Amino acid sequence: MRTDERYDDLTALFEAQDEALQNEVFVKQVMKPIRRRSRWRAPLLFGAGGIGLGAALSQIGGVWDAIKAQAPTSIDADLSLSLDALPSAQVALDTQSIWVIAAALMVLSCAVLVMTERA
Amino acid sequence: MIGRPVGQEVTSDFDLARDAASGKEAAFETLVRRYQGAVRGVCRRLTRHAAEADDVAQAAFLMAWRKIGSYRGGSFKSWICTIAYREFLQARRRKKIEVEFDENTHILAFDSSAARLPEQLDLDRALKTLPENQRICVVLCVATGMSHSEAAAATGFPLGTVKSHVNRGVAALRKQLAAESVA
Repeated sequence: MRTDERYDDLTALFEAQDEALQNEVFVKQVMKPIRRRSRWRAPLLFGAGGIGLGAALSQIGGVWDAIKAQAPTSIDADLSLSLDALPSAQVALDTQSIWVIAAALMVLSCAVLVMTERA
Repeated sequence: MIGRPVGQEVTSDFDLARDAASGKEAAFETLVRRYQGAVRGVCRRLTRHAAEADDVAQAAFLMAWRKIGSYRGGSFKSWICTIAYREFLQARRRKKIEVEFDENTHILAFDSSAARLPEQLDLDRALKTLPENQRICVVLCVATGMSHSEAAAATGFPLGTVKSHVNRGVAALRKQLAAESVA
């Protein structure tokens, strides 16, 4: 806050000038580019997010198949569950979770960007 | 505060800025409507050209929209006028470069077509006679209501220099306004 009040008379003159400058056309000029940018920002971000999500989801099946192929012993092929199979199943589950979390984070990031970022 | 209706509950600048930061354009539009006079006035006094001043003012509001999340309360007028001052400096740097390359560039005369009170014309005339740094300090402290320390932070001048510029500028303005009212 201003502490020096010795020029209130001059400040009043300047404020009178400022009042006379009120103009709705100027407000529209300022808001026009802001609105234009906002129109394409959300579809663009959600579009990019959607593509990322699609790519992530498509990877889940591939990883699952790769893990299954690498596992030497599966439960349905051989009921004797070896110690080696257990870590493989765990890896498959973890990998799936990582992709799902990554996809969720991507969507969440896009949503946060759209909600918070300006212009 | 400029342009606020009397007797109605008015949303605070802080609340509007917070809403604008979450992407609400209408909130920012209200801030533009509220402070356009102050920002355009500052830009006119700094640039001394009406058309150029409005370009700088528009650039300042666009920058404010991008940086609205960094507003942490306090005087919104001071915050937006600081941005306007920085935009003025950038515009002046660009203009200097253009003038260097284009010697046929003509400086437009200050638009005095708008009807104004005689004392306001005197004020404009008196302001133009001040040395530039003095004029900048007077505009920021007297016209926008910034504190000396806010103006020092905005301009990068030492606090003592700002105080000195403001005191001398105000004295010079008063002297000229008095002389013109006598004449």
